[in-house]
Amino acid sequence: YFEFYDGPLEYNSTKCLDLRREIMELKVLSLTKQTELFERWKNLQICKWEMNITEANFFKSTLSRCCNAPAFLFTTQKNTPLGTELKYEVDTSRIFHINNEVFRMFPKEMPYYRSQFKKCAVVGNGGILKNSQCGGEIDSADFVFRCNLPPISKRYVADVGVKTNIVTVNPSIITERFQKLEKWRKPFYDVLKVYENASVLLPAFYNTHNTDVSIRVRYVLDDFESKKAVYFFHPQYLINVSRYWLNQGVRAKRVTTGLILVTAALELCEEVHLFGFWGFPMNPSGIFITHHYYDNIKPRPGFHAMPSEIFNFIHMHTKGILRVHTDACNFL
Amino acid sequence: MTKENSPVGKRVWYDGEFLYYLTIDNETFSLFPKAIPFQLPLKRCSVVGNGGILKNSRCGKQIDQADFVMRCNLPPLSNAYSNDVGSKTQLVTANPSIIKKRFQNLLWSRKAFVDNVKVYNQSYIYMPAFSMKTGTEPSLRVYYTLTDVGAKQTVIFANPNFLREIGKFWKSKGIHGKRLSTGLFLVSAALGLCEEVTIYGFWPFSMDLHGRYISHHYYDNVLPDSGFHAMPEEFLQLWFLHKRGVLRMQLERCEDS
Repeated sequence: YFEFYDGPLEYNSTKCLDLRREIMELKVLSLTKQTELFERWKNLQICKWEMNITEANFFKSTLSRCCNAPAFLFTTQKNTPLGTELKYEVDTSRIFHINNEVFRMFPKEMPYYRSQFKKCAVVGNGGILKNSQCGGEIDSADFVFRCNLPPISKRYVADVGVKTNIVTVNPSIITERFQKLEKWRKPFYDVLKVYENASVLLPAFYNTHNTDVSIRVRYVLDDFESKKAVYFFHPQYLINVSRYWLNQGVRAKRVTTGLILVTAALELCEEVHLFGFWGFPMNPSGIFITHHYYDNIKPRPGFHAMPSEIFNFIHMHTKGILRVHTDACNFL
Repeated sequence: MTKENSPVGKRVWYDGEFLYYLTIDNETFSLFPKAIPFQLPLKRCSVVGNGGILKNSRCGKQIDQADFVMRCNLPPLSNAYSNDVGSKTQLVTANPSIIKKRFQNLLWSRKAFVDNVKVYNQSYIYMPAFSMKTGTEPSLRVYYTLTDVGAKQTVIFANPNFLREIGKFWKSKGIHGKRLSTGLFLVSAALGLCEEVTIYGFWPFSMDLHGRYISHHYYDNVLPDSGFHAMPEEFLQLWFLHKRGVLRMQLERCEDS
């Protein structure tokens, strides 16, 4: 489509209205429809994207009722008082007793309020980011979320940027790559240091295995006298978000961290931009891409429902609720 | 333990366990210094026990005058004590049990420990990592902790073969406790490393030579579990060594000179 490309089409042009309608007509994602989806998505790229305030506000108000990130995204001293018997998200029969030591790690209140940030970038780790040159555009956002300690070293910076306000850490990484922080701690600290002033966000109360290693992250930062904030996802927030998306047809053992961050961003930001979210083995033009922008290690099958999540994002993009970037950026 | 005496693949038999060994792997090997890190022989050594007899002894200056000062079990060295016990340390032992009791095995915050050992400046922290099964992980963790933060102290590990031989030697001299005290291990090591050894704070009785009651340690009066160490028997042997002039035992207060 680049061959006939002479500048983006206006959002409200007839052509764009048609292209958007075509995407919305695809209601279910099946393998046969996937090529169709790719085609229509590709075609839509000639249209400018605009936020549809009405749609976006409607969506955000739904989220505020189900999930309420500005009050419940993290465990805080306000929403999780000392002595709380906190229920785990997955190990539902297990509770964690909030003792003084853990309570002291919580922020007094949620550090962010509703629609605090004008423009947010949520950066997934998809191979679609490779050679995207989107680093500049990502870094120009007011607030940047990243998932799972992704590499942001020099060789990736042009594609993914460096700015990070929140980075999530999956405790399984701590267990596997850093021996639960029971031995050396500096290698882990050195990794965190790269994300300059970013806060670290962990699912400490997702299951019982996660708690100790997550808490230990706070201690590691204390060991090195780092002022970095450590936050823990509130398990009830995770439950509510999963339930919400399940109702929207995302059927997976577990929603991805990316989807959770996007959901939170929609409440905390006016405008949400997604980069690196493309859960298919090939890009919209049909060219195979690596799984991540930094490696090609495939995830456990049947755990996440990436295509279904992306399908939702595409619909949201089409409705003007958020913007999904899958093309290369030409940010100047 | 050194790279020279404990190569990868070697079986290390624990001296405090019955038939238990660890095979040195690459990871553990990498924690050992190449060879014994001291300039041997050491000249004048002070070995400082923690006995209450040191309280008000004013021996600090004399202790510090030695070329090499050895202390037991991470003793407190704050200003309040320096007059009596000095402040210089080249080697201090640390028992894994202390790491467990006082620092939660270094599994959580490690800052308290790092701050705690700052008083020992550039000394070696000598740990019996391979005596009891349960002591290995905490001991290695001391190494990780101090190396991670770039602390001035260097962690070295006791060779269980050495400890076992020392134990056998003293057993043959009639010491029958379950295990020798750290103090006696340290004095024995000092006799092998130093030209001249003076020992302080070795006095396992509740009264001093003049019949004044003294506390168990110079810093507290927490009594040990009974029947673990045979302190009076150990003391007797040290006393014999003093009388034969093998080492010098300081029991009186030190004079300011």
